[in-house]
Parts: sequence; C-alpha cells; structure tokens
Amino acid sequence: MSKQKTEHRKMLNATQGLKNVMGRHFLAIEQAYRDGKPTAWATSGSPVELLYAMDIQPILPENSATISAAQKYSRDFIEIAEAEGFSYDLCSYFKTNVGAVISNADLTKGGTGKPTFMLSTDVICDTHVNWFEVQAERLKVPHYTLDIPHVVSNTNNRQYNYFKKYIAEQLYSFLDFIQEVTGNEYNEERAKQVTQNSWDLSMVWQDIYELRKAVPCPMSTRDTFGGLFPLFTMPGLKEPIKLYKRMYREAKTRVDNGIGALEKEEFRLMFEGIPFWYNLKFFGMLERWNSIIVYEPYTYAFSKYMNPKVTKEMVLSQPIEAMSELMLSFWYIYDLKTRIKKFEETVREWKIDGVLLHENLSCRPNSCGLYDLKRHLMDDYDIPCLVISSDMNDPRKMNETQVINQIESFIEILRKRKKK
Amino acid sequence: MQKIGIFDSGVETPEEIVMAAGFTPYRFFGDPTLQPDRANEHIPPTHCIWTRNLLEQAIKGLDENIVGIIGTHGCDRTNREFDIWIECLNLDFMFFLNSPRKRDNLALNFFINDLKELILRLEEVFNIEITPGKLKDAIIITNKIRKLLKDISDYRKKLVLKGSEFHELVKNAQYQDKNQVLENLEKKSEELKSRAPFSEKNIKKILLTGSEIDDTEFIKYLESLGFHIVIDDLGVGTKYFWNLVDENLEPIEALAKYHLTKPINSIKYPSYERFNVLQKLIEDYKVDGVINIAQKFCEPVLYDHPYLNKKFKELEIPYLFIEATYNRESYNQLSTRFSAFAEII
Repeated sequence: MSKQKTEHRKMLNATQGLKNVMGRHFLAIEQAYRDGKPTAWATSGSPVELLYAMDIQPILPENSATISAAQKYSRDFIEIAEAEGFSYDLCSYFKTNVGAVISNADLTKGGTGKPTFMLSTDVICDTHVNWFEVQAERLKVPHYTLDIPHVVSNTNNRQYNYFKKYIAEQLYSFLDFIQEVTGNEYNEERAKQVTQNSWDLSMVWQDIYELRKAVPCPMSTRDTFGGLFPLFTMPGLKEPIKLYKRMYREAKTRVDNGIGALEKEEFRLMFEGIPFWYNLKFFGMLERWNSIIVYEPYTYAFSKYMNPKVTKEMVLSQPIEAMSELMLSFWYIYDLKTRIKKFEETVREWKIDGVLLHENLSCRPNSCGLYDLKRHLMDDYDIPCLVISSDMNDPRKMNETQVINQIESFIEILRKRKKK
Repeated sequence: MQKIGIFDSGVETPEEIVMAAGFTPYRFFGDPTLQPDRANEHIPPTHCIWTRNLLEQAIKGLDENIVGIIGTHGCDRTNREFDIWIECLNLDFMFFLNSPRKRDNLALNFFINDLKELILRLEEVFNIEITPGKLKDAIIITNKIRKLLKDISDYRKKLVLKGSEFHELVKNAQYQDKNQVLENLEKKSEELKSRAPFSEKNIKKILLTGSEIDDTEFIKYLESLGFHIVIDDLGVGTKYFWNLVDENLEPIEALAKYHLTKPINSIKYPSYERFNVLQKLIEDYKVDGVINIAQKFCEPVLYDHPYLNKKFKELEIPYLFIEATYNRESYNQLSTRFSAFAEII
C-alpha cells in the first residue's frame, strides 16, 4: 500500500481544513479586538448562538485550554494557578485558563484576552460559574450566569415545564444584559440565520456520526476530537458547515468503498469523557491493537439538536424556547437512568465491542455515576467496560504506562469474547 | 414518628414542608469513624468524602422510621449522587429539590414552583394534604427555634457557651423532633442566663467557615488548642437560624424567600458575596482570626479560598485555610498548622 493511501486512511483529508476554519475563528477574535467589537467569554454548553445573533464575538476558554494542553503549556499554566492558591484538585481547564491569563499568553498558546463580558452556565458543571466568577473579578468585567435546574432519574413532566420556563426567562434577561452592556440589539432575522446555520452544522455532524456505524468505521478520533471545536466555537456561522460537508462526503466515499480508518479493524470502542488533550497520541496508539473508537458521547453531545421534541421549525420560530429545552436534554448531562439507556442503544447501533470510561479527575460531575453506569452495562447488557483514571488537561495526573497496561488487558478480554 | 431524610450539603431544605406533611425532618450527618467502602463502589474516592460517608450509611441501612428522602441541590455532583441514592435505596418517596444557584426574582419564582412540586409529590405519595395552615404552624415552631438558637449563640460571644456545646445543639435541632428541640432549647436558654463565663485565659476568638463541619469532636479538638468559636457561617451553625421566615407572607413564598435571602454560601452565585457576610461577622464579633476548613475535594470552598485569602490579607485579618480529611485520625495531623496559627494571633 502506498504511503499516501495509508495516511489518507488514518485521517480524512477534509479534516486538514479544520486548521483553516479554526484559524478564521481566532482571526475573528483578533479582528474584534482591533475593531472594538464586543467580545464575550462563554462556557461550553452555553447558547453561543445568542452571542452571534447579537453580533458579539465569542471566545471559548475551554477550547483555548485544550490548545494550551496540545501545545504542552497546560502544566505550566496549571502550576501558576496553584501558586495563586487554587487547589491541586480543582478543574485543570480552569487552572490552565487562570495561568494563561496571568502569563498574558497569546492565542496560539491558549491565551484569552479580556472580554467585554462573560457568559457562564452550570448546565455542565458548577466550575464554569466559579471559573468565570474568578476571572470576571480578576479582569473586572460583567458576568452573566444561567442557572440550569438539574434533571435526575425521577424528574417528571410537570418539573420539565417549569424548568424550561426558568431557563427561557433567564435567556430573555440575558438578551437585556447584552443590550445594556454593549448597546447591541437582538435582531430576529439575524438570529434566524444564525440558528439555521447552527442547526445545519449539527445535522451534518450527526450525519457524519451515522457513517461511523459502518464496519469498517471510516473515521476515528483523529477527525472528531479536533473536529468538534467548531460546534463549540462557531455554531451559527457558515464556514464550518462547508468543512463538515467535505468531511461527510469523504467519509461517505470511504463507506461506499468499504474503506476504514484502520487497515484492519478488529475492535470497535466507545470513549466516554473528555480526552487527554496533552496526549492525543494515546488514542492513535489504540491502533496497535487494531482498535478504533467509533463513538464519543462528548463529541456527539455538542451537536445539541438531539431532542426529538425540538424540531427545526421550533428552533427557527422559537429559538429561546428551543434552547431552553435543549439545555435540559444534553447528552453530557443525562441522568443516570437515561445515560444507561443511551449507552446501551449506542453500543448496539454502532456495533461497539467495549466501552472506555474516563474517570476524569478534573470533571467530577461527569465521573460521578460512572461506576453505576459501568455496572449496569456489564451486568444488564453484557457490555465490557473499562474505567481509566486520568485528567483532561493536567499531564501530571496521567500514568500512561498504567493506562496502556489496562487497555492491553481489556483488549485481550475483547479478543477472547470474539473467539467464543 | 415517621421521618423524611434530608440529604443536603447546605441547609436549603424547607423543613416546614416536611413537618406540615406530618413527618420529622431528619437531616443526614456523617460519621467520621466510618470508612466509605461500599460508597466507594459507586462514587470515585476523589469525590467529596462527606457525601460518600452519607451514602455509606444509607447503603448499610437507614433508620427504619425514614419513609422518604429529599435530596437538595448543593454542588454540581449532588444531582448525580441523588441518582445513585435512587439506585441504592428502595423508598417510595425520593425527591430532588433544585435549590437555585441564583437569588434573583426569576430564581425565587422557580424555587416557589419547585417547593409546590415537593408538596404535590408528598401529597401524592403519602395521600395527605399539606395546607397553608399546617405550613404556618410549622413556620411558627421553626422560627421559635431560630430565635432561641440566635439568642443562645450570643453566649458564645459572651464567652459563656463553648462552640462545641452550641454545635451539638444546632445539630440536634436538625434531626430531632422539633417540639422536643424547642423544649430543650428553652431549658438551655434558661440555664445559660445564670452560667458564669469561662475561666480560661488567652482564648483565641475564631470565626469558623468553610465546608459543612458536622463532627462536634472537631470543634472540641479546636478548643483543645485554645481556640473558641465565637461565630461561624456554617450549616451546623448560623446558616440554620440567622434570619426568620416572614410569618405574614403566603407560606410557600415566605419559605422560598427565606432560603434565597439568608447569608450566602459558596455554592450560590455570586459566591464572592460570602466575603461581605464574613467581614460583617468579623467586625460584629471582634474575632482574632478566621479558620476556613475545606473538606477534601469540596470544590465550592476550594474556589473561594484564594479570593478570601486576598481580601483578608488586604484587611490584615489573620486567616487560616485547611484542606481536611473527614476522619478523626487526621485531626491531630493538622495540629502543627493550627498551633502556628494560634501563635500568630
């Protein structure tokens, strides 16, 4: 096989275009600072579309923190934050951002400049709110936070209704906040266009995931971990839609021709949690066991339009109400019962042999419930699972040898099961 | 009497609703002599040690009079943990109360809705009726308890009542029958009127803050080092009784308002306002220093610490921050830091 063909198989050619798309995002941030256009930090899970609709340039510090990690700066930044008194046990994204801001790091190292205001929400975690509270105080900027009620396994429909109402009321109040801080007004037409783009972007991403059901799987985490970023940072713009469509077409061609991302695909895996951004080569290493990750709830979750009750028509005609509904039904925050159900369905539909569960030392809300999830998947559905303990952005908390040994043993188990 | 267990890392659960339903509110407390071995099979050991301790007790078997549980939102894992409680326990009544993080009018309306839902669910499951009259009666009792606790708390300031003795009183008030609590507090209040101040010299007057501290032995340990807790802002402390519920308002609205306007804790937004609460207490109680205890992995308190540290430095108020483990063996390991702090102040 030619070298070109081997490389081609590992990562989609189209994914190379991600650099350009994300480059445009960072250029837009720089341009906004130059032009004096309002900017806002936003936490993941917050309605970034509203920022675009109000002509505010979003900046996603979590995305920037992953850049710090990939560029091997996160450890230094984390230690700067710890020297300020932030505990070793706190979120490594948060500490990376604190260190980056104190160091005045530039965008290429994961720095984030002072914004006009900050938008946080506790939809994913409380850390998001604490994080921006710390940084808003440091940078002396206004901060708006969205308080999202938490759905548990026995939440009923009556509750859903007033939960949604509370979120919607806050979103309307947030629009007033933006207008007060920036003078920018909500423009319905612009909002509609942004929402349309956001919907289209997510739908193509979901279509890409459908292709990953194919055996062999046409693409791996080389395409999705990075490919996820536009969903965070640019929902509402046209540019990433083009990128995703190119990725889709290329992956479809692979599927039609029976070509997989691996030369030999033996084991199909699912990876739950946030990846180790400082050690992405780890995921490539799975290939030595002819293993491929074919589904990550984390990267899928951000294609937010998954709730069948939220139709395209609703998104376009009642964007605030649609967002309120979506913030309660986000893959990453499912209650335990729903989480177990969704995992079982996904394992079946994507023909997954085993599940890797990342017990992320930085993300306690996500790792809480992981043991029960594992137990149910193994005992009720006979799905092999492995819990890996590590951290998304702090390389000090990863014992690579131990993790590799665990995975090697896990693959052996999968191999034996296949032989039966 | 049947009880409703309360799993609450703050004190945000309106006990009056439980009382009006005909049950005794029974807040769960940890047992620092217990290792959370079985809870560790559900929750990773790098998570809040206190809530793992509560789960351990729940798995091993609750008081047989407990017929239901209210889990109240504290930090961001409490809802996830509540799902695990649902997994591990077999009770007909399990309700998660979304105590809002914000404290504005939108949050207030939301909380009122959630309290109404709690009432509805209690009525549905136990086939009872919770009337405004029953709620008002319950509010009158709990307000009496609050007033008594606030009066009694002042004997700490007068150096008559030890922090540990007061801690035990507040703790008892959160799980014993309220009429019994009222009777005990009335007796204590009478007794304190004639009690003489401490004879000890060189007492270091402390404001105690941080994560929930429910082990009275820990307070006794601090006292053994020469500290006296004259005031606190803890759940087993002032947060339980500082304000009163407005008896003239419609009861559900009054309860929601009470919880959203009481002294702020680190879980709420904006948590930095906690500094103002502390500063006021420091001035009013003329403390010698502040001790902030974060239970291991207690994120809300860990996030607040650098800000508090900065502000206390600016004001030149002695401040000690400790990350502690929830077991008694570990207390002695902290003695060097506590002793050094005692020297400073």
